[in-house]
Amino acid sequence: MKIIRISTLPGYEEWKDNAKSCLLDYIPPSSIAWKDINEPQDELFAGIKSKKTPPSSPHKPVLKVPKSFVELAQTACCHKDPERFSLLYKVFWRINFENRKLLSQSLDDDIILLNKMIKEVRRDSYKITAFLRFRETLYEGKEHYVAWYEPFHYTLERALPFFTKRFRNMNWSILTPYRAAHWDGENVLLQDNPDPSQVPDEDRIEKYWLTYYAGIFNPARVKKSAMLAQMPKKYWNNLPEAKLIPDLLHNSEAKAREMIDKIKA
Amino acid sequence: MQDKIETKLEILADAAKYDASCASGSAGKRSAGKGEKGIGSLTGGSGICHSFTPDGRCVSLLKILMTNYCIYDCHYCINRISSNVRRARFTVQEVVDLTINFYKRNYIEGLFLSSGIIKDPDYTMESMVKIAKSLRVDHHFKGYIHLKTIPNASPELQEEAGLYADRLSINIEMPTQKGLNTFAPEKNISDITGSMGRLRNKISEHKTSKTHTGKRLPRFAPGGQSTQMIVGADASDDKTILNSSVDLYQTHKLRRVYYSAFSPIPDASLILPLKPAPLIREHRLYQADWLLRFYDFSLDEILQGTKNNMLDMDHDPKLAWALRNRHLFPIDINKADKKLLLRIPGLGALTVQKIIKARKYCNLSWSDLTKMRVPLGKVKPFITASDYRPPAYLLDMESLGNQLKNTEQLDLFGRAV
Repeated sequence: MKIIRISTLPGYEEWKDNAKSCLLDYIPPSSIAWKDINEPQDELFAGIKSKKTPPSSPHKPVLKVPKSFVELAQTACCHKDPERFSLLYKVFWRINFENRKLLSQSLDDDIILLNKMIKEVRRDSYKITAFLRFRETLYEGKEHYVAWYEPFHYTLERALPFFTKRFRNMNWSILTPYRAAHWDGENVLLQDNPDPSQVPDEDRIEKYWLTYYAGIFNPARVKKSAMLAQMPKKYWNNLPEAKLIPDLLHNSEAKAREMIDKIKA
Repeated sequence: MQDKIETKLEILADAAKYDASCASGSAGKRSAGKGEKGIGSLTGGSGICHSFTPDGRCVSLLKILMTNYCIYDCHYCINRISSNVRRARFTVQEVVDLTINFYKRNYIEGLFLSSGIIKDPDYTMESMVKIAKSLRVDHHFKGYIHLKTIPNASPELQEEAGLYADRLSINIEMPTQKGLNTFAPEKNISDITGSMGRLRNKISEHKTSKTHTGKRLPRFAPGGQSTQMIVGADASDDKTILNSSVDLYQTHKLRRVYYSAFSPIPDASLILPLKPAPLIREHRLYQADWLLRFYDFSLDEILQGTKNNMLDMDHDPKLAWALRNRHLFPIDINKADKKLLLRIPGLGALTVQKIIKARKYCNLSWSDLTKMRVPLGKVKPFITASDYRPPAYLLDMESLGNQLKNTEQLDLFGRAV
């Protein structure tokens, strides 16, 4: 068993280099254990040398994949599931040796898994653009906007083009648990393991946002499940307005009744 | 202690929440390019939902009234002149600042501004246009702007609004003039549709025509027009409402008609019903609206066989149609064309696409449908697959409708509302 530990995040480039050389050596998916950075290094397996499987054909494989696979693999690598690398290698292997059109087999079990991962990553990348909140601060005498955001997957990089386009003329920093991105109007600077205490605790406008959020809610139409479907609790940490939700829900019935009582009176 | 802006926001956001629309899409893509001034972008598609309130609705825009002072007396409206609500009025600068400040913090996609009528329609409309203009010209704001235009404001002002806004809307409020006479005596349906017609012409002119020097005309409300109807305040049935929608889509090329179930408002007028209209009715109207626009159904098909020209409350309109037309089923999912697949209860447009793609490679079986996460309980009587035929008695059963009552999935129409 060959153990490959991908030590970068999200890990696409590193996975790709390893996957290519493994495929060229004809190492089948079942003979590789792919690990990601969050998995402890396994002492037990560390000593075992990887065995090369004898090539099943005298020719070197061609290593061709459809263009779309690159984008799909990049996306899937942002998933937090440590299994992503082995699944990708399996698909990579099968495209080369089994079925060149594998990716369009939407009912194949591996493809179903891959598509599910990709869908989750895309959704998470969308949610950053939706749920991230900046706070204003001063940095070297200039307006600077800072956000702390906890994505569910490794999706910071995927979301950056959105922020550099929309907020091109602002200076901003986005801090996530694994990496930060700083924008000065022209370039993005990435920094690993940023310090969350750099994020301001307050913002002069935030109270207006909370007032707005509470005001736009209609207590006569509570539909908690519809809210949770779109804004699951795992994202609430990122949202200053989420702390209002329990009270809004709690008071909604009373408020709606008050309205109806007034009408009847 | 609340400051002045907080108080105004509280009043003027509260007043805007009865507006159903929150969409911020369909105006194309744009952003400030390298070296260009300004802030903001449109990402294409349907716009970003930045938050959700406990009523399940998306928060995409800063949706406020410029003021809730109003000289009109529309009975269903919380801001009518005879109502006792707290009043407030934003200045032009306050709305501009709030929009930019919210936008910079990534709270919103842009501004949805509507207003009560102060002094007269033109005066009101002029202030609203000033806000949009300041955002675009002073701040180079590239985000979304939706202006609710004021009926009876001068055509010149409405046209100026179109130069700055991505979307314009005028609420039609009631499907008939009779309804308006009772509930909104100052409003006139032909004035409203007249404005829509003028704007429709401007929108298409700016899309297609060029100046005499061959330049393209400036953008004019590229996101089109929308409108809103209140459901369940007057006695109009679903047929009347949907007829009016079909006309609005066809004649005035509206992008969206929003339905808003009448819900009791504080300090309501005495001629209004005491009870809210059932939300399920609003929901069924949206579903029917969807079938009309995306599923190639005609209004006659949707309404044929319904009772009292009202949609079936127990089943969504597609299922209700299928139950009335059982002789057309079962449908073979491996052979049927797209139009027919779209008629199968439980198959949405996305699933139909998946089926068409997947069946190129193999004959689809029952377990393939499981993998596609098709709601099996719902489609069961209506389809055949490579290894599946519904038992013959299923489609003949009187009680089929009852059995399928609870198969409705929680869907995402809430998002569109």
